[in-house]
Amino acid sequence: MKIDQIKKEFPIFDEKIHNNDLVYLDSANSSQKPKVVVDRINDFYTKQFSNVGRSVHYLAVAATNLYENTRTSVQKYINAKDKNEIVFTKGATEALNLVANTLGQSYLQEGDEVLITELEHHSNYVPWHFLRKSKNIKINFAEINEEGEITLDEIEKKITPKTKLISITHLSNVTGAILPVKEITQLAHTKGIIVVVDGCQGAPHLKLDMQDLDCDFYAISCHKMYGPTGLGVLYGKKKWLEELPPYQGGGGMINEVKKDRISYGELPNKYEAGTMATAQVIAFDQSIKFLESIGIENVMSHEADLVEYGQELLQKNNSVKLIGNPKNKGGVLSFTIEGVHPHDIATILDEDGVAIRAGHHCCQILHDKLNIPASARASVGIYNTKDDLDQLNNSINNCKKIFNL
Amino acid sequence: MNLKELYQEIILEHGKNPRNLRKTEGFNKDAKGNNPLCGDNVHVYLKLNGQKIVEDASFEGSGCAISMASASIMTDLIKGKNEHEAKEIVQDFLGMIKENPELKSEYLSEDEKTKLMCLSGVKQYPMRVKCATLSWHTMVSAFDENIEEVKTEN
Ligand SMILES: Cc1ncc(COP(=O)(O)O)c(C=O)c1O
Repeated sequence: MKIDQIKKEFPIFDEKIHNNDLVYLDSANSSQKPKVVVDRINDFYTKQFSNVGRSVHYLAVAATNLYENTRTSVQKYINAKDKNEIVFTKGATEALNLVANTLGQSYLQEGDEVLITELEHHSNYVPWHFLRKSKNIKINFAEINEEGEITLDEIEKKITPKTKLISITHLSNVTGAILPVKEITQLAHTKGIIVVVDGCQGAPHLKLDMQDLDCDFYAISCHKMYGPTGLGVLYGKKKWLEELPPYQGGGGMINEVKKDRISYGELPNKYEAGTMATAQVIAFDQSIKFLESIGIENVMSHEADLVEYGQELLQKNNSVKLIGNPKNKGGVLSFTIEGVHPHDIATILDEDGVAIRAGHHCCQILHDKLNIPASARASVGIYNTKDDLDQLNNSINNCKKIFNL
Repeated sequence: MNLKELYQEIILEHGKNPRNLRKTEGFNKDAKGNNPLCGDNVHVYLKLNGQKIVEDASFEGSGCAISMASASIMTDLIKGKNEHEAKEIVQDFLGMIKENPELKSEYLSEDEKTKLMCLSGVKQYPMRVKCATLSWHTMVSAFDENIEEVKTEN
């Protein structure tokens, strides 16, 4: 599929926002959905609906097969070794909570240290904080450098003999920094440290290869990956998922239930308690096929072009200050305008149909470090074009005019 | 929608040079408020005299032009009012920001009403209403001596 054709595949772009074309620059928050994904949800409910894995009737068997097909697609897409290393969750947040909770139950001990970074989203901090409260583990923070990056050196410096686990973002949702996850994992593994990756921003925009990265866990948010909401993926190495205890209890995750004992099911059922987001899982297969039809190399080069173009535009725009300047940068442009609060920027841009995010983007630690209460963030996806970034720049100029800058 | 109505000159001016952005010396009532979604925060200070009249009002904090202008105008016009009057003005203001076409309180002069009406453009921007109301809720909390921080989720 040609990059300039992609926008047409997303029905939302037929809509008008305050009588303007939609310039959607909030994909780091959540991406828009291609028609094939929307249609798949509708089709499944209209023609094929049944619960999965519980009945032997025709529809149940067909739905179960479709559900498992997505698991195989995800496995292939991220090059995991085994299909059972793919667990569906309600989002990346639940995936990270699952990891922290189960490691907390059976692996991490009082006094152990977990190393995270100042770039982390609250969903890769708060679950560890729970363990700080309940198990007395310690949380250390790797610090950003001037460019808003986390270097391998900094990680190495912050590792202590008590460090048992490193949990890091693949790509910062604020500075756009891409972390050297593979190198960090290599280093960590030489010291027997587990590596968890928050892959929310990595998965939609980078080539994923779990066997090459070699991390122990990788969390994915499907709604940022041109897929449905209410769905996430946890990749976990088989040895961990087999060894760790279950997270939630209920139907589907058990083997045998007696009054005096319960045994748990095999992977992946062990971690998929209750009725899952069936329609979303089945539709997510279309998101993966859609990405595959474009080709991740094309996605990456298109988005790299956009970021470079956007960065240049905003750097030239005086009174706009970009946050972070990482060498290895994903499609995120966070900025402030001297004299205009990010909320005012977002409201004014919205009037032109330009959708960005304003606030701390669930990264209060980072904003505290940068000594700003909030920032404005424009983030790109496969459907964006250079015209979108020109419109962003024009609307920023309009904003400056309103504020007499 | 009308950005001109939202960002009137007077709002921009108050936003840029907020009045009473300081901490009242010898304050006897105060409260904090924040907006967890956006990270805006405000700390309102009141000094009531023996007759329970607001002798001075001030605030500290950071936020968008709307929230700064709102706190600035509020702290200006609340001076000289007693608790009952102030609370009625708050209700009147909240009503106006959400739905009422005008302000009705007998405790507001025409001049004060005109000033407050500059914030009425916020009505058309539901996501921004909480920016305009945070300092007002916080002031009520200060009068009531609430220890808990005001959150704008409600
Ligand atoms: C870096 C990062 N981590 C975690 C999350 C949470 O993901 P989800 O919405 O799937 O729970 C997000 C999304 O907001 C994110 O950007």
